[in-house]
Amino acid sequence: MPELRKDPIVGRWVVVNVENPYLPQDFNLTPFKWQGNQGCPFCYGNEHLTPAEIEVISPIPRTPNSSGWKVRVVPNKFPALRIEGDLNKHASGIYDVSNGVGAHEVIIDNPDHYKDMPDLDDLEVEYILKTYRSRSLDLRKDKRFKYLLIFKNVGLEAGASLEHCHSQLIALPMVPKNVAEEVKGAQHYYEYRERCIFCDMLSYEQENRGERVVLETQHFISFCPLSSRFSFEVWIMPKDHSVDYAETGDAILWDLSKIFKDTLTRLKKVLGQHPYNYIIHTSPVNTDVPFSYHWHIEIMPKLTSVAGFEWGSGFYVVQTPPETAAKLLREC
Amino acid sequence: MPELRKDPILGRWVIIATERAKRPKDFKRDIVNLPEGDCPFCRGNEHETSAELFSIRDDKGDWRVRVIPSRKPFLKSDDKLWKKGKGPYDLMAAFGSHETVIETPEHIANMADLEVAQIKDVLRVYCIRAGEIEKDLRIKYVLLFKNYGYDAGAGPIKHSRSQIIAAPVNLKRVKEELEGAKSYYNYHQRCVFCDICSQELSQKERIVLDEEGFLALVPFAPRFPFEIWIMPKKHSPYFCGINDGEMYGLAKVMKKILTKLKVLLNDPAYNYVIHTAPFKRQYPGYWSTIDDDFHWHIEITPRLTRVAGFEWGSGFYICPVLPEEAAKFLREI
Repeated sequence: MPELRKDPIVGRWVVVNVENPYLPQDFNLTPFKWQGNQGCPFCYGNEHLTPAEIEVISPIPRTPNSSGWKVRVVPNKFPALRIEGDLNKHASGIYDVSNGVGAHEVIIDNPDHYKDMPDLDDLEVEYILKTYRSRSLDLRKDKRFKYLLIFKNVGLEAGASLEHCHSQLIALPMVPKNVAEEVKGAQHYYEYRERCIFCDMLSYEQENRGERVVLETQHFISFCPLSSRFSFEVWIMPKDHSVDYAETGDAILWDLSKIFKDTLTRLKKVLGQHPYNYIIHTSPVNTDVPFSYHWHIEIMPKLTSVAGFEWGSGFYVVQTPPETAAKLLREC
Repeated sequence: MPELRKDPILGRWVIIATERAKRPKDFKRDIVNLPEGDCPFCRGNEHETSAELFSIRDDKGDWRVRVIPSRKPFLKSDDKLWKKGKGPYDLMAAFGSHETVIETPEHIANMADLEVAQIKDVLRVYCIRAGEIEKDLRIKYVLLFKNYGYDAGAGPIKHSRSQIIAAPVNLKRVKEELEGAKSYYNYHQRCVFCDICSQELSQKERIVLDEEGFLALVPFAPRFPFEIWIMPKKHSPYFCGINDGEMYGLAKVMKKILTKLKVLLNDPAYNYVIHTAPFKRQYPGYWSTIDDDFHWHIEITPRLTRVAGFEWGSGFYICPVLPEEAAKFLREI
């Protein structure tokens, strides 16, 4: 008998196939094929193919928009939102409209066309995480922005349009719906119990024989949440209550680099090269800081195509129970 | 300048990315041709499926529409509906049912290619099965939906079918819509969907069809390019409350809309979901004003773009087609 499980933060039910758990080979993934680096705007020597850089990490001195960098941030060539202008919020009958003001940046993770996080060394991963932090701190100075969303799409099926590994940052003038729901859910839980729901989830996972825990370091835990939406979904969460990703100190960020890389390496080992997304869920900016929120990273492998049922209902079917996924990831 | 638009029911913002504006022919898709094999849904192969739960038959006794248990059900009714807590989590048996509606005995893939009378029979079967499911008081919601094409989650077999799921909980998306409609009603004392109908009728620019008492429109803040909603112009909370004549009218509208999508976008994969009010149940906290505040409708979403991490993680969608232009393309084809 499959099982229904409820997410304690937003109240979403998921169906978990605990009877015949899918193993990695049951997912019919199309084998990955590289397109090659010809004309890739993110490779060394092609810096002129992107808009002018906003920020770089480079251990050696270099002229702007030339090679030698380790991480490079550029504006998205096809931005979903534009930085200039006023929001000009207005109504159109019963509808609300606003100008699409925001920022859309591309963070080129590393110069090597064929490398993703598992192939980088710890220091190179740390460069990426530090860049996320500094972009977030910089963009929040613009008071029009209420949320800074940092995410990555890897592979065509997960929405990546270029295969050279890159992350994206979108600065939004309003708090996106899913985050707002999480913030609200956490607040609601806190009002009732005076405890953080994420801290409670974490201690429950640790106490419960660790069956959903993948890895644990001094400051972080990576685990497959009991009410995952996707097979092999993994969250990485700081063990100490912490609201804002960008306030993470250097020592803790270094610890994160290691667990992040190790988690993605394990996913790659178990699932092979596969499309996935990750997204940093952190608190909104330029608004009341929701003390009860707890930042975390959600990694979502894309192993099945999401069908009409999921779209129309918000009800997800998970073919690999998180306990099975965590065990495979722990033991690989 | 791109535009941010807010869905008036859910409060969900979407980005209408005019800079990335696309026309119908810009959506290139990989057509996936999976090996099909023998079709278990065709006339003559009935023994290849589980025993049928229900069928509509013609005068000669041949079936026209056939309902069978899903071959890969994720909700089942052969157990007790247990519930328990686990730390901060709640768990429940995956109690319910999962049925497949085979829409025709012919090997036809797209509902757009069925006769109007055949589509009407499919709609009738939806209502009959939903009525049957309603009798089990443990079931809270019945979801009627279709996945057409590989990108929309359908398997390799190209035989028109849809699915019925009976769930013991109210589904999150549906619940949000119910809550949104209720809070609009509490404030305005009007149905938000009726208000949408009247505003759309006065503006006209997002309407695709206005026929047979139904309105087919591109929503003001769609999640996907060429998303279409079909709803009755007359306030009506329950899909299964429609009468025979309305059902025939709806079948005509469905055929027209699905054909427009097929022609305009070169036979795209799509999903549709029928959003109706949950079953009337007598228990505390049941939606007291639901008859007045909710309005059933069908959401049709062609699958033309891949939903990326941004959309998943944020619930914020980027739609690369201006809804008014999408409606114009659909109207004129």
